[in-house]
Amino acid sequence: MPGVIRMCASGVNPKFHIILQNALEVGVIHGFGSFKVNVLSDGIRTFSVTANLRIKEIITIEDGNHIRITANISESDRKPYLVKNENDRACPLCASGLHVKHTDVLILSQFVRSDGCMLPRRITGLCSKQQRIVSSLVTMAQKSGLMPNLNPANSNRDPQKRYKWEKFNKYFDESTIKWK
Amino acid sequence: MSLKRVQQWATFARVWHIYDAAWQNPFDSAKLLRKHLMGMHKPIYHPLNDCGDHVIVINSKYIALPGDEWKKRVYFHHTGYPGGASWTLAWELHTKDPTMILKKAVYNSMAGNLQRRYTMERLHLFPDTEVPENLLKNVSNQLEQLRPKPKRLDHYDENYVKEFPKLIDLPKDYVLR
Repeated sequence: MPGVIRMCASGVNPKFHIILQNALEVGVIHGFGSFKVNVLSDGIRTFSVTANLRIKEIITIEDGNHIRITANISESDRKPYLVKNENDRACPLCASGLHVKHTDVLILSQFVRSDGCMLPRRITGLCSKQQRIVSSLVTMAQKSGLMPNLNPANSNRDPQKRYKWEKFNKYFDESTIKWK
Repeated sequence: MSLKRVQQWATFARVWHIYDAAWQNPFDSAKLLRKHLMGMHKPIYHPLNDCGDHVIVINSKYIALPGDEWKKRVYFHHTGYPGGASWTLAWELHTKDPTMILKKAVYNSMAGNLQRRYTMERLHLFPDTEVPENLLKNVSNQLEQLRPKPKRLDHYDENYVKEFPKLIDLPKDYVLR
């Protein structure tokens, strides 16, 4: 939704005149307790004025009767350390020419969520072959207890306290991955 | 003259080696240990020449088996009585005695002759890094590990992980959990 949306929060608090700038998605406003207003009638899309998604920095400026709330999309913390993909056709991993092993946790952790799930291909931007290989490698690394901080919530974070045979060290052979 | 005399002593001296078995395959390590225990790495080696070295193995509790071998590898024992057969999985054996898998691996890697029991006497296995002082003071050589010891992600410095070169960037509006 481009431009500035001006709306009056009638019935709740008459002095609230909120100007939303850079608001890409405006629908139901929540985050102010009981303060909830329908702006657009077509469909209900959520927009949060609090910083719970952490991708936008919320700046609040007060002047007189007006509260101006601005949301800036914050820079990715990976940006300064990004390896540039010189090849315009290959995926980032193919272009890097690396032979990643399951012990290379510093590389594998870049493709993983905090709960240990593999990121989908539309996010990683890998080719289908590399996506399958990396997801196998991530599984190997997690099973050998090399990424205990990026593991499913039900797994034991200390690999040496895991179930019976799982508590002992193990390694994997990368040649057993089906996709070459 | 004296140099030759010292060479003579050094040739027949028993060298003490130390080997860290953490994250090592016990069956690959057994080949390396056998070579040094029997003295096969020496040019004077002969089956009748008693020239084997001592090897102290530390961290035998932290050996690594490939894939799912911890629950697939089975150790067989028979008491000799009818119905006396028993099968023990590798992880069960390792829980009972963390040095047994490595000991059996070295023992089985050698030919079954009269020398085998005496050669095994020169192998000193320890589940962790606690080695008696009187053994440790003999050590003059460290055997190189066969596999690199992997480092856990949470053992890296936090800044090092953050500043490590990144292959991909996340989309601008992607909410990372």
